[in-house]
Amino acid sequence: MSAAEPTMSVDVRVRVNGIDRTARVEPRRTLAELLREDFTLTGTHLGCEQGACGACTVTVDGRSARSCLMPAFRADGTSVVTIEGLGDGPGTMNTLQQACLERHSFQCGFCTPGMLIAASELLAETVDPSEAEVREALSGNLCRCTGYDSIVAGVLHASALMRAGTGDRL
Amino acid sequence: MTIQRLTGTSVQRVEDPRILTGRGRYVDDVAVPGMLHAAFVRSPHAHAHIVSIDLDAARALAGVHLVLTDADLRPIIGDMTANGSPGLFVATYSALARKVVRLVGEPVAIVVATSRAVAEDAAALVGVVYDVLDPVVDMDDAMRPDAPLLYPEHGSNVIYRTEHRYGDTATAFAGAAHVVRERFAQHRHANVPMECRGGVADYSPATGALEYTVSHQAPHAMRFQLSLILRQPTHLLRVRCGDIGGSFGQKGGIGREDIATCAAARILGRAVKWIEDRAENLAVAGQAREERLDVEAAIDAEGHLLGVRVLMVMDTGAYPQLGFPASGYTNVVRSLFPGAYRLDNYDFDAVAVATNKGTYVPYRGPWEVETWVRERMIDVLARTAGIDPVEIRLRNLWSDAELPRRSVVGVELIKMTQQETLLDARRRIEYDAFRSEQAQARTHGRYLGIGFCNFIEPAPFMPSLIGAIGFMAAPRTPQEAHVRVEPDGTITLFTSQQPHGQGHETTLAQLIADEIGIGIERVRVVHGDTQVTPFNFVGTGGSRAATLASGAVMGAARQVRERILRVAATLWEIDVADLDIVDGEVVANGVPSRRLPMQMVGILAYTRPGLANDDGTLGIDEHHGYISYEGTWSQSTHCCVVEVDVETGHVRVLRFLVVEDCGEMINPAIVDGQVRGGVAQGISAVLFERSAYGADGAYLADSLSSYLIATANDIPHIEVVHHHSHPDDPVPFRGVGEGGAIGAPAALTNAIEDALVPFGARIREQYLPPHRILELCGII
Repeated sequence: MSAAEPTMSVDVRVRVNGIDRTARVEPRRTLAELLREDFTLTGTHLGCEQGACGACTVTVDGRSARSCLMPAFRADGTSVVTIEGLGDGPGTMNTLQQACLERHSFQCGFCTPGMLIAASELLAETVDPSEAEVREALSGNLCRCTGYDSIVAGVLHASALMRAGTGDRL
Repeated sequence: MTIQRLTGTSVQRVEDPRILTGRGRYVDDVAVPGMLHAAFVRSPHAHAHIVSIDLDAARALAGVHLVLTDADLRPIIGDMTANGSPGLFVATYSALARKVVRLVGEPVAIVVATSRAVAEDAAALVGVVYDVLDPVVDMDDAMRPDAPLLYPEHGSNVIYRTEHRYGDTATAFAGAAHVVRERFAQHRHANVPMECRGGVADYSPATGALEYTVSHQAPHAMRFQLSLILRQPTHLLRVRCGDIGGSFGQKGGIGREDIATCAAARILGRAVKWIEDRAENLAVAGQAREERLDVEAAIDAEGHLLGVRVLMVMDTGAYPQLGFPASGYTNVVRSLFPGAYRLDNYDFDAVAVATNKGTYVPYRGPWEVETWVRERMIDVLARTAGIDPVEIRLRNLWSDAELPRRSVVGVELIKMTQQETLLDARRRIEYDAFRSEQAQARTHGRYLGIGFCNFIEPAPFMPSLIGAIGFMAAPRTPQEAHVRVEPDGTITLFTSQQPHGQGHETTLAQLIADEIGIGIERVRVVHGDTQVTPFNFVGTGGSRAATLASGAVMGAARQVRERILRVAATLWEIDVADLDIVDGEVVANGVPSRRLPMQMVGILAYTRPGLANDDGTLGIDEHHGYISYEGTWSQSTHCCVVEVDVETGHVRVLRFLVVEDCGEMINPAIVDGQVRGGVAQGISAVLFERSAYGADGAYLADSLSSYLIATANDIPHIEVVHHHSHPDDPVPFRGVGEGGAIGAPAALTNAIEDALVPFGARIREQYLPPHRILELCGII
């Protein structure tokens, strides 16, 4: 038996973490699948594929988006940032990641990609968020391990480092 | 210079750099060349006969490699059956449904195709004709004499019934000043790890070896059961786990999908990946907590507990989980219900029933209902007798000076400091000031409430508790550690713990670094590979790691340290007693020139027979086992302050305080994370979560938009205070994995009832979404 031939596939050109990439995708393929399978960027996680849990959150042209709901072809011509693109290079950490390391922000790590992207979006808007603003910014992302305290602490710590000039701004 | 002792400090987690940079390796990240993808055909009915299954269209779809039903699997694999215990009816079932389906979502066929999308397309083409039967959806319906039967061969939906009597409740109740009777019901909800279940099965026709990489918390149990059911020789079966996106008990059993996926890979001779989606996870991965306790309690005029009678009914769902027997829950609840309170007269009856719903699985503190009902009952008693809820607890708790002693069920109570944690909680929450504030607020139409909860947590289970339960030896099986010095002097630990968020790669490495005297960066913790890790049925679960894994690791590390010192002692012809390991080097006391770095120790141990071991064996490789013993209790007082908005029914948690005693902490930040995470789950369970079923057995909460989980806006900052009353234990660490989730529902529901005193509200159900609050207030 041969593999199913994708019908009506379309070409997608997308900049991911600063690198231009192309792929041919079925219309039903999601951005998350494009990132995880075609580009092997498995740092973006799928927690529900219903748009509810937020684990798959990435930024598309600077705005956060649920990559599980967004068709891959809709990302054509955009610039996407995933958790792998937050640091300066593979495996390196930016101020937010370092702050979360220092505050023991995460446990199992499955919600982490979406949380970091959501927090990055907030910190790009303001480097001095209140705790309530941090909680509001993270409220579209579910975590089952931590009770959120440590994640909130990590984001506030990052903002403090940025304001003190000891951490790079996002 | 001595390396700073790491144990007791919040060392940064070894796991975090990979997790924070998107380099974790979860099961869906695994890709094997030639890998195919599985999807399941699932029953839309709660209860039905399967009349026929038409696979032709599915098999004809391009990209489909295999479609299997029970008819295909039955000749080549065995059936599934859970652990038994005396008096428990344990159904035998097949990976894919045989003739009957008993819940919505039951797997009927597996489809394997080139992609998950094609597999799902094909699954939709499988034509199953059902003859729908009446479902049993409710525990009371299940017990009716004319109820439809899930297992006609058993003749009843009641699968377990026990009666226990301790002391003389009749006399105790006859002399009581107050007797209360209440029915407390806990709703069905679920573990909901952020990562759903899944596995990648890879079969090599050349060697006959099957390798299953799975998101699971007990890989050795998985291997044991897979071998049995698949009839796959165990030496040709390897189970591996990478990073795991949470579990909370759900990934401890063996799923029907695990069996079918492995069977498909073996038939095809290539890799098959199964990744559960969220709708499947919420419907069939396992649900928990659906229990109802009828309680009668008697006190004297001063509030001293004279006797308690309990009838527990547990709704186990359709199939027994392959992992933890239904009888386990009721007997642990019975054994822990008295907690650290004085109780001499106690009756406990239990009934477990089968219904056409999801399989009951252990969820973080699987016996939590003992704490919820006991602490609710104490508040009701206090209110009835006009005694303060803190005061009535103090009058009934054992003090440490009166211990050790055996509880009414025979559990050894040792070092109970619940009076201390309760008094400290009362002081820190500023109880008297709160009562004034509460009274003030009520005059302005604001409803504040406070709730307390005490509990003791077997962390790990101790022999007397296992004895009281009466069976189930697995929770106290020895934990083993295997520690090896590598040829370059680095250290590898092999543990049968299977961490899924608990940070054991960090905490166990901290212990080794301290015991041996080297830096933590030179220690690696290996888990998740049955080919190299020591056998254990439990893996990570049951709050075992802090005491048992630590004891095993410390023992093995000490043996390794002795071998390391022996290398230097033999080499230098110096007495071992004159040697030490400092900062990763063996040093001779008083002879500063004599230094042997670990790199040299490693090389010498592997190249010079006789240096490390008398018999000439090369290398340093030590095993150590550690088994449970009495007195390993964690204990806590939880205190919750809420404001209830009686117009919207919204409950706002203003403060949540945990005063707990888990002995010495290996890594305080990790302990706090465990406590807070458990509390958040408990709060979320009360205010948001419900695995809802319709009257026809339809499953109604199959998305995270219909099954709600608390967000960062719903959970407050959780204050955690530590006491430490076990300074003298050889392994002074106690588990904390489950306690947060055990205590929170009681403290929260007690606080809500306290807030609603002006409305005369009595909380008898644990699920309290806004509409229930408004009903309790008499507003709707």
